[in-house]
Formats: sequence, structure tokens, C-alpha cells
Amino acid sequence: MRMLGRTAQNLFWLSRYVERAENMARLLEVGYRMSLTSRREGGASEHLVSMMQAAEVDEGFAEKHDVADVDTVAHYMMFDPDNPNSVYSCLMAARTNARSVRTAITTDMWESMNEAWLEYSQIRPRDVRGAKLLELLQWVKQRSHEFRGALLGTILRDDGFSFLQMGNFVERADNTARILDMKYYVLLPRATLVGGDLDIQQWTLILRAASAHRAYRHVYHDRYKAHNIADFLMLRPEMPRSLVYCARFVQQNMDTLTTLYGRKEACHEVAQGMVDMVANTDMDAIFAHGLHEFLTEFIARNNRVTDALSESYNFY
Amino acid sequence: MRIEIEHNLSLSLSPGSGQLLLHLLLTPGSGPMQTVESWSVEAQGIGNAGRFTDAYGNGVHLVNQTRIEGDVTVAARGVVVTRDTHGVLGRPEGEPVVALYKRVTPLTEAPAELLAGFEIEGNRLDILHRLMSLVGESHSTARQTQMQADGGQLQSQGEEPATAGDLAHWFIGAARSLDIPARFVAGYLVGDDEHEGGLHAWAEAFDDRLGWIGFDPVLQLCATERHVRLAVGLDGAAAVSLRTVPAGEISQSALVTGG
Amino acid sequence: MGDTTPFDEMYNPDGSVREPYRALAGWLSEQPDKALGLMQADAEAIFRRLGITFAVYGSDEGTEKVIPFDVIPRIIAAQEWRKLSKGIEQRVKALNAFLYDVYHRQEILRAGRVPEKLILNNAAFCPQMMGLEPAKGVYAHIIGVDLVRVGADGYYVLEDNLRTPSGVSYMLEDREAMMILAPDLFQRSKVAPVENYPENLRRTLESVAPVNSRGTPVIAVLTPGIYNSAYFEHSFLADQMGAQLCEGHDLFVDGGKVYMRTTTGPERVDVVYRRIDDDYLDPLTFRPDSMLGVPGIFDAYRAGNVTLVNAPGTGIADDKAVYTYVPEIIEFYLGEKSLLQNVPTYNCTDQDEREWVLENIADLVVKEVHGSGGYGMMVGPTATEEMHEEFKRKILARPDNYIVQPTLALSTCPTHINGDVAPRHVDLRPYVLVGDEVRITPGGLTRVALKQGSLVVNSSQGGGTKDTWVLED
Repeated sequence: MRMLGRTAQNLFWLSRYVERAENMARLLEVGYRMSLTSRREGGASEHLVSMMQAAEVDEGFAEKHDVADVDTVAHYMMFDPDNPNSVYSCLMAARTNARSVRTAITTDMWESMNEAWLEYSQIRPRDVRGAKLLELLQWVKQRSHEFRGALLGTILRDDGFSFLQMGNFVERADNTARILDMKYYVLLPRATLVGGDLDIQQWTLILRAASAHRAYRHVYHDRYKAHNIADFLMLRPEMPRSLVYCARFVQQNMDTLTTLYGRKEACHEVAQGMVDMVANTDMDAIFAHGLHEFLTEFIARNNRVTDALSESYNFY
Repeated sequence: MRIEIEHNLSLSLSPGSGQLLLHLLLTPGSGPMQTVESWSVEAQGIGNAGRFTDAYGNGVHLVNQTRIEGDVTVAARGVVVTRDTHGVLGRPEGEPVVALYKRVTPLTEAPAELLAGFEIEGNRLDILHRLMSLVGESHSTARQTQMQADGGQLQSQGEEPATAGDLAHWFIGAARSLDIPARFVAGYLVGDDEHEGGLHAWAEAFDDRLGWIGFDPVLQLCATERHVRLAVGLDGAAAVSLRTVPAGEISQSALVTGG
Repeated sequence: MGDTTPFDEMYNPDGSVREPYRALAGWLSEQPDKALGLMQADAEAIFRRLGITFAVYGSDEGTEKVIPFDVIPRIIAAQEWRKLSKGIEQRVKALNAFLYDVYHRQEILRAGRVPEKLILNNAAFCPQMMGLEPAKGVYAHIIGVDLVRVGADGYYVLEDNLRTPSGVSYMLEDREAMMILAPDLFQRSKVAPVENYPENLRRTLESVAPVNSRGTPVIAVLTPGIYNSAYFEHSFLADQMGAQLCEGHDLFVDGGKVYMRTTTGPERVDVVYRRIDDDYLDPLTFRPDSMLGVPGIFDAYRAGNVTLVNAPGTGIADDKAVYTYVPEIIEFYLGEKSLLQNVPTYNCTDQDEREWVLENIADLVVKEVHGSGGYGMMVGPTATEEMHEEFKRKILARPDNYIVQPTLALSTCPTHINGDVAPRHVDLRPYVLVGDEVRITPGGLTRVALKQGSLVVNSSQGGGTKDTWVLED
């Protein structure tokens, strides 16, 4: 049976929102840890704000709150329905998408999504403080893993699977690029002051946000270095959150669709462009180009992939 | 009478893009009163139109268009040869059961004021003729006003003069309230010294002996060979020449020449 | 009738257990304390996890509730069912014949058996349907007949739902849940299966594809969307049938044919099982402000390029005012006496009957002619005096807008209430499919009024459901 364009769209966004909920939790965790370790007056607030900038929710936050402290920021990132990217909003959007395509996903996927939402929507925000916050952030990640597990374990490998996977990895690419951009300046090569204390701490947190602080050691057998960290999160094909991995993954799923549908669509070229950007380069070239500029360009290209996908496969 | 008709419609939509769907009742049929000699409907996408007959026996085009900048135009033109039957259409085949036309619609509520004191005497033809003059007299102003065939609006309000469609609705409402089947006819009229030609609307009522008979409250005549039937329906809204989604503002006119 | 004792489906007046309930009675007596309570909790969890919810009108958008499920099944004996299903089949055949006639030659009106005005000036009559030839001559393909039982042998038809009857997913899920919760009970009884409903629905829909469609017909279920109270059911049925679940904008009409927008372009649709009301189905023909429908779909139907299930305009046959004529309708088309009884109904436009109604309103049930779901309804014996007065005023203002019936002593079934088992009033909605043949699923949906003494079984008004068993011989 052929798939409705709207169904493809719902599947794509279902996965995207689950991934985004997870990433919001990751970002908040980093922001929270940074704020705890800040030694300067006002430093905690700065870390939280830069984290919100990375999540692109800083302006919305400023409209509602004067002070950025752990409580206000955590509430805004976790529970505020006015924040379209809060974990609450993401889970609700994911479930709404799931409900719309109830027939296109498996019972296991639906139940995992539905339960996550039912549980989360019962939580009273004021009960979530301190250690409880970290616990809940962990819970969000686990629920995301569980959903992905249900997906991988139960769904047919047909076009729907490809749309789900693309949603997941387009979102992940976006997030990794944002995490890097949040602290791109600590990754820039410097003539002096190699590996100051503060930087190490911030690098660790960047890796942590990508659940990559331990994997790093396995790949580089070396202490944290800015060059390596950037390389790891951008160009390493074996790192499942790296830009190149995500871009290739999206491209591969488009190839699957080409085979399934017997037709190549315009979105392939756009995806190819994104892959080329991260596959045929190295960190030296990127630093020379300008890390921030590179990341900005990547995020824009990634957005174009979504647009092209919508166009090619009749999302509407 | 050999009548040449050129009917132009123009639809203006609020700006936007997407698809436009047009439902056209622009195909006159041949019957006892008229024979369609030639006819064509011109609109973008007409070649791919869905074609069918509606509940009232009208031929329909369902046309898809991709919306473009500016007004959408539709035209119908052709030649119809009419015969004088003293207004009698009779009982053509392929029409729905006559009783259907007793149904009261929002546009054909019985005109209570008009009917006050009306005497239900004589045979049905008598009654219908008296109804026709009653409707015509009480709204003689309508004669000077531009005639409107689609009648899609409710009875005119305030200072607005009544249209031919309004008069037809009153006649139909009155007839139905007397348990006489009556229906709306959208069509064309060949003008004369007294009446401008062009788009026109009148009514048909049913007589058990003669079948359908056309009554024109504007002309105060039964349908003549100057009348060309285009579409019928329960009321003007059902016989309207053009309906669209999305809806827009429709203006139309017809050039009708009898030879 | 108002003060007769309701029929107890489980116990005879002497306290002995009626035959069909024997196995259940044995099973119930073996259940340890609290077992039913635990089952009840399990059931709730199952339904919530599966997302079997409904939205309550008037509450916040998107509020979802689980419809209460009672763990004690309602049981109908084989011979009782045979009789009942014959009556149902007779009724749906006659109503379809009536619909064909009303939209063609109107012989029944000419014969004066049903008043002409009642049909022609009825809001539920759809003039746009005149002369249309639906595939197999069927208008109402999916029907839910509301029945109440008033005695060992007496069923009354409360209402024929011929528009877009809902609830069939509860029938199926209730069975599913019951088999999970009490497998041992099933082993003791031979219960007729209901699981083939989706397959039968598919066969019915395929059988009414337009004559000119080729190959296996493509079926779409058209839903108003996820905020509709029955959305779960729409997706459930689409899933079970392997049909596409579409919202209005997933479908479009081109060249008088219906297509769905797929990832690889347009695909032709042959049959649309629409769960959108007539008014909202097509802004080109019906309400122009509808955002839910598919522009032009009615024209495609008239052009013979798609089948709409159910057909628009079927409401004329389940109109509450037409209801009183159903026995007449059965006789006219089938030449048979009606096998099922109608509830006696008073006509408020008749002065004598109206006066009698106004005097006795405290014992009567008043229903709005076009109301549904228990709204716009008053049950005299349980209503306050103010409500009696209010409905008297309403009837006087618009006598044609109300029908009045005696308060029926709805039968009762044992129901689990807070750890105890107590009788509660129930009704029954069997589901009927009409296509190349008439298919009736044994049983149906039993709705139960969970409040003691209450006669209102609608889920929106505090009703629950039960699994309904038809025993096999």
C-alpha cells in the first residue's frame, strides 16, 4: 500500500520530536552542570543563557523571565508549553504525530510513545529540583532510547522506516551542530594557553552532551584536545552523533527510498551537498574557513534537506 | 427563434495559491421548448473536466484549475433554437420525481405578506396565473432593474430593488405553500423594447394535465420563445451557473441575440 | 410501563440463574475477594496503554478519557440471537429499500403510507441525492441498531443509526480485553466470535466499489482528525482493514475522480468510508465553510467514480420522526410484519397526544428529533421538576422538534461496582454491514449505565461498556 504524503511527514516529525526531546534534555544537563561549576559571579547564568542560545529558545525565555537561574531555565526547557522546544512540547508533538499515524507505526512504538507522554504529563514541575532534575533528564533520554528500540525492533523496513530514520538523524545533525556552535570559541586553535583548566571542563561538557566523553578515549587514546573533539563530533564516521555520520545516514535512507519507489527525487542532490560538506574535508580546512561559519552553513543546509524532502515526497 | 448566446463569467478570488475547483451549470439541454444547435464551454482545464448529471437533471462540468494571478474567466457560447409552446414544457424524461419540488428551502419560504387575502379558487392554471401577476405587480420596480439570473442571494434588503431571481423565488414559495410543485429556472432572455435581454430567471410550476409550465413574473408571461432554459433547481442556489472552492466573487453577463 | 420491574438478564424472579448465565454464575462464585477489582484495574491499564480513549465534548480540547469497561460480560442465548438478527436483517433491508425509493420514485409517499411533508421538508432529506444510483442499490452500509430489552422475549428498537454509527471498536477491544482478563471463563462457554468484523467490513466496502473501478478497490477511511471523539476507532478500523486513514486534505478530486496524495504522487480511491457528517463532507456541495471535507467529493460520487459509505442523506431513514413509520416501511417494501418492535412514540404535533404528554411528562422520556449522544434529552422519572417544566415549554414552542416515549424498563445485567456485583441497566447496539450481502456481527456493543437506577447509557453521560457474548449451540 502506498503511503500518504502526510503520513510520511508525521513519521518524519514523530522521530524528530523524540530526538529533540532527548537533545533538549542533553543540552539542559550540560547547561546545568556548567552552571554548577562556574566560579564567577553571574557565570552560572551565562552558561544557562548560552545553552538556551544553542537550543534557540533564549528569546522566548527572555520574554517570560528576567532572571536565568536553574529553576527558571529548567522549568522553561522542561515544562513550559509556551516553549515550542520544551521537552513537554516535544513529547506532546511527538505523540500527536504518532496518533495521526497510529496505523503506520507498530503497537510497541505507540505504547512506548503513549506511555512516555502519559507519565510525563502527570509530573508536577515543582517536584523536580536538584537531583530529581538530573534523574528526570536521564528518564527523558531513556524514554527516547526505548522508543528508538521499539522502532528498530518492530517496524517493517519499508518507506515508513526511512522517513522515521531521516527525521531522527536530521534532528540529531542539527543538534550536534548547535552544541558545537554553543562553545565553538573554546574549540578554536590558539597559539598560547593550551588546555587551560576551564577549557578542559567545557570540552568535557561538550562531549558529555553528545554522550561521547568516554568514546573519545577509545578513538583518540589521548587527553581532550580541541582539535580532536571537533573532529570527533563533526568528521568521524564511526561516531553516531557526528555530522558526517548523520548526513550519510540521511543520504542512505534516501537511497533506500529511491530503490523502493524506483525513482530518484530532487532531495537527493540536497542531501549529497550536505554529505560533501562534511565528508571531503578535515579540521584544518574547517578552522581555516571559520568554524562558526562552517557550522552555520551546515545547519542551513540541513534545513534545506527537510524542505527538499517535503517537496519531493509530498509532505503538506 | 434562433438565438445566439454569449455568456461570460468572471471570478475574483482573494490572493492565494493552490487549487481551484469549479462546478459549472452551463450546459443547456434540448427539449420540447428548445433545441441546442451548438454549444461550447470555455475554461482552463475544461478538457479534463468531470462530467455528470446532477439531481435536477442539469449537465455539470467539474473543473480543476491551478490558481493563477488575477481573475478566472469562464465563457459559454452557442446557438439555441426555441419554439413557442405557450410556456408548456410538459414532462421531459430523466427528471426527478415532481413532488421533490414541493420542498421548501431557505430561499423559497412562503411570502406570507403576498399571500394574505389570496383566494385559492379556480383550476391550477388560473391560480398560477393569478400568482404570477400578484408577484409581478407587487414588485413592479423590478422591471427597471438589472435582471440577475443566479438569484443566489436572499430576497433583497432595504432599498435594493428586487431581481428576477427574487420574483421567481416568491412565485415558487407561494406555489409550494399551495402544495403546487414549482422550481427555479436560470436562463437567458432575448430583449425587447421593454425588457433588456441577457441573463434571466423565472419559475416553472407543475400542472397535472400539462406538466411543467414556465411562468415569468417579470414579463408577466408564460415562458416564450424568447426564453432559453439553462438550468433548473429547487431554488436559485441550486441552479447557480458557477460555484467554486475556494469561494470568490462572481460577476457575469450574457449577450443574447434572437434572429 | 414506567413502573414495571426491569427484566433481569441473569436471574429469574425466583432467584435461579437463567440458562445462558449458568457458566458465568459458576465462575463468579469461584472468584476470590477483590479478584474483580484487580481485573477492573488491569482492564483500565490495558485500555489506556492501547490508547483506546474518547474525547468528551465540552471538555478541554484533546482531553481523553478511557471509556469505563465492566469486566462481567453480557450474555445472549443462541436462539434469542437468531430471532433478533432476523429482525435486524429485515429492518436494514427495508430501510435501504426506503432510501432508494425516497431518492427515486417516492412510491411510498405517493401511496400515502408515509406523509410526504415529513420527508420532503425534513432537514435530513438530501435533495442532491435524487436519482443517484449507488452501487448495489445500498445507501446505509454500516448500521448500528440500538435495542433495549424489556422482557425474556421482548426487544424494542430505540433507534436505527444509519449515518456514521460509532462504537464498533469498543465491541472488538472489549472482547480482546476480556480474553486477556478471563481466559478461563471463555473455556467454559462457546462464544460466537466477533473478530472477523474488520474483514467483513472490508468485504462489504469492496463489494460496493463503483462498477467501473478495476482491480482490488482502494479503500480510504476519512476521519475528521485526531481531535474527533471517535478518532481511535477510525484509525483502528483502517488499521484492521489495511485501508488508508485519511484526513480531508489527504484526498482531492481531479477530473471528477478522487485521489489520495501519496509519497509517490496521486493514487485513485474507489471507496471512501467516511466518518465525517454529511454537512462537512464537501464544501462545494454542502456547508461551504467546512474545513474537514474534500471539495468535489460529492460530485465525484454523482459522476459514479467513487462510493461514499454511508451515502449522504441516509439520515432521512433514522430521523426520529420517521422512526415511527418503520413498521409501515417494512410492510410496504417487504410485505412482512415487522419482527422487531418499535417503542411506542407520542407525536406532539397531535393536540390530543400533546396534552396527554404534558400531563404525564414526569413518567416520559423526551428526545430532540435531531439530538444524539444523550444530549437534548430528558428522562422524566429522574429529572427535576424544573426540567419537567422546561421541557414542557420546549415542546409547546416546537412540538415537531420532540418525540416522546414511555420510560422503558431497560433490562439489567450484573455489573461490577466497587468490588460488589450489582444489577445495572443496559442497552445493545448490534453492528450490521450491508453490501453484496447482509452481515451481522453476533452480539454488538453493550452499554451500561453505571449509576444506580440510571437509564442513560451514553459514554458522554457516565455510561460504560461490556463485552457481549452470543452463545453458540
